[in-house]
Amino acid sequence: MRIPGALYAARGRAPQNEKEVPFQEVLPLRLKNTVSGKADSGSDVACLQEMGVLFACLKDNEFVEKYCHKEISQFQNCYKFYMDRKFEAKKTVNQGIVQPGSNLNYRQLNKYMRRFPNPQ
Amino acid sequence: MAYVPATTLNILRFSKLSRLMSMYPSHFAEPNLNKITDRKSASHIPVKAATNDLSDSIFYGELKNKLIKYITKKGNRNLAKELLNETFETIKRTQIERLNLNKGDKTSVIINSEQLLINAIENSRPLLQLSAIKRGGVKYQVPVPVTEKKSYFLAMKWLLDAAREKDRKVHLPEKLAWEILDAACGQGRVVKKKDDLHRQCESNRAYAHYRWS
Repeated sequence: MRIPGALYAARGRAPQNEKEVPFQEVLPLRLKNTVSGKADSGSDVACLQEMGVLFACLKDNEFVEKYCHKEISQFQNCYKFYMDRKFEAKKTVNQGIVQPGSNLNYRQLNKYMRRFPNPQ
Repeated sequence: MAYVPATTLNILRFSKLSRLMSMYPSHFAEPNLNKITDRKSASHIPVKAATNDLSDSIFYGELKNKLIKYITKKGNRNLAKELLNETFETIKRTQIERLNLNKGDKTSVIINSEQLLINAIENSRPLLQLSAIKRGGVKYQVPVPVTEKKSYFLAMKWLLDAAREKDRKVHLPEKLAWEILDAACGQGRVVKKKDDLHRQCESNRAYAHYRWS
């Protein structure tokens, strides 16, 4: 009598023999002592709302700037504030002063982790 | 907003972000054209040597100096200076002629050609710019805010580009003077170019969030 294959499938596949397929440690199974600085660069999208307001005003006034003084100055101030903050952030990163707290940038984290590395 | 020259902005600002190849260490301050009132604290601060285009003469203007640099071709700065002076002369002559023709209100005509240049540049400064960003194999024209410095650069570049687009027989100062006079009263090709850019930015506003790092 033929046994349908579904009956075998219900039991599942037999596990591999560990001696035949030894485990290979391709990458070391411990965390690195550094983090990369990629995530800290952040996104460049700023002042989207101000830009929208400015566009609305410009469109209403047929692109004559003198009727949109308030919107223009708001937009420019927003962008200037954003750029200044970015500049300051970069400066503090480059200074690399380690301070206690949870909000650390990548350089500070790297400094910490260099002091307390993972055991080899 | 008035033009803020870089030399006054950076004064005594100790930046760690100095240029890597600079011959000066980062704690050197930019040279300052203004009279230093607080001599005691300033005497301890090392200052970079002034470049040879800086001057504390009353005829010196930061914006004018920049424009001379943009006019210069092949390092012929003297010629560029002459051209700008001639431009100012043409502007002044035209304005005085207008003043004499204008019977009624004499105060409405500005004769100061340097003031007119400043007005022209302020009128042709863009607020936004389009930059091409590739997303999913398609290039999108994304509106991006421009920095103040860049907006001044673009305004001056557009003025010069408009002035350079001319017949061979027309002298550059003549055309530049007309462009400056047009832009100073908010019309002409340069102001139109700026408006066109703003219009394009407005029609591409849906892509504004595509901007990243």
